[in-house]
Amino acid sequence: MLSRAVILSANALKGRGHFGAGLVQASRSLHTTSQSLAPVPPLPEKGGKVRHGVFPEELFQLLYPKTGVTGPYMLGTGLLVYLLSKEVYIVNPESFAALSITSVIIYGVKTYGPSVAAFADKLNEDKVAKAQEVKDLAMASLAQAIEDEKKEQWRIEGRALLFDAKRNNVAMLLETNRRERIHMVNNEVKKRLDYQIALQQLHRNMEQEHMINWVEKNVVGSLTPQQEKESIAKCITDLKALALAKATA
Amino acid sequence: MAGRRAALKAVDWVAFSERVPANQRGAFNALKARSDAIVARLASVPEAPAPIDWSYYRHAVARPGMAEDFERKFGALRIPEAVDTQTTAIDTREAEAEASARAYATESEDRVARYRAELEKFRNMIPFDRMTIGDLNDAFPETTLDKVKHPYWPHKAIADL
Repeated sequence: MLSRAVILSANALKGRGHFGAGLVQASRSLHTTSQSLAPVPPLPEKGGKVRHGVFPEELFQLLYPKTGVTGPYMLGTGLLVYLLSKEVYIVNPESFAALSITSVIIYGVKTYGPSVAAFADKLNEDKVAKAQEVKDLAMASLAQAIEDEKKEQWRIEGRALLFDAKRNNVAMLLETNRRERIHMVNNEVKKRLDYQIALQQLHRNMEQEHMINWVEKNVVGSLTPQQEKESIAKCITDLKALALAKATA
Repeated sequence: MAGRRAALKAVDWVAFSERVPANQRGAFNALKARSDAIVARLASVPEAPAPIDWSYYRHAVARPGMAEDFERKFGALRIPEAVDTQTTAIDTREAEAEASARAYATESEDRVARYRAELEKFRNMIPFDRMTIGDLNDAFPETTLDKVKHPYWPHKAIADL
């Protein structure tokens, strides 16, 4: 019931108080439980119920069995009348000041109370939302980090492929080299044999040519002038005969 | 000779390519290009050369005995193979890579465990609207206000408000 210690117009404000300790601790019964009731129970949605803005509902419930519904009102009226008539409370100019001020206050709270409450609540909610955002971001980044680590571990598993590729390359290079060497040996041997054959051919050609030239030279040399004249005369007679044959044909 | 030739292991380039991280993509491409070039070169060289027709040479070459001599020497010839200098180096590097990969894997597991622990801590945290300032300071130590360094409200530098 001490939670109703905020008997001021704070009742117009919605339940959630400051992000601080004061209101929350007041809602715990003092020193009844052992320390650290954690987590703290949630703040109530609404403040304690009141009638006419100031009188707690518990008072009405307290008096209801004995005096019914009108009991507290009768109590209030009687109290007021007693205070005025017995001059326990003296009416003086201050009274009117009090009346005016309270009415203005009541008017102010009634008009602007909800918006101020909303504003204050929004401040609180922003703080909570910011903290929540930080927490969510942290959780998301942690989950992402775990994913990344798993991915890196998966990547590592492929390390054998790299070395296999390298060994393959080496083996292929060696094989290529071996084949090239065999080819080279073959080609060299062939080249040498072919060279010999080509050399032989060259020799034979040269010998042939030389011999032909020599034979020709000798034949031409052996032709005496006498033989030349005879052969020319024979040619002329042959030509004459041919010409005759052609003329008559 | 065939026995000493190491058999070529089929390398799954697609799987390899998947596992390459972005910052090593260039190196991987270079390796693949080199490998492809080597494969192409190997394919372009025929397995064995055309055999030499010794009978033709025996008839054709006039010098007596040259062809037989060559044939004999050719048959007895053993071509030295290139020495493999790299495979041992590759093997040692592979062993080193194995060791470092294992070390990295264990470190990675430790990191994952730490991350998991923190994640659990966050998951099991009480919701903010049920926390007190004390609880908040326990959960996020960086929110504690240093009342010794800044004894007066707001207990932090004005610039940090």
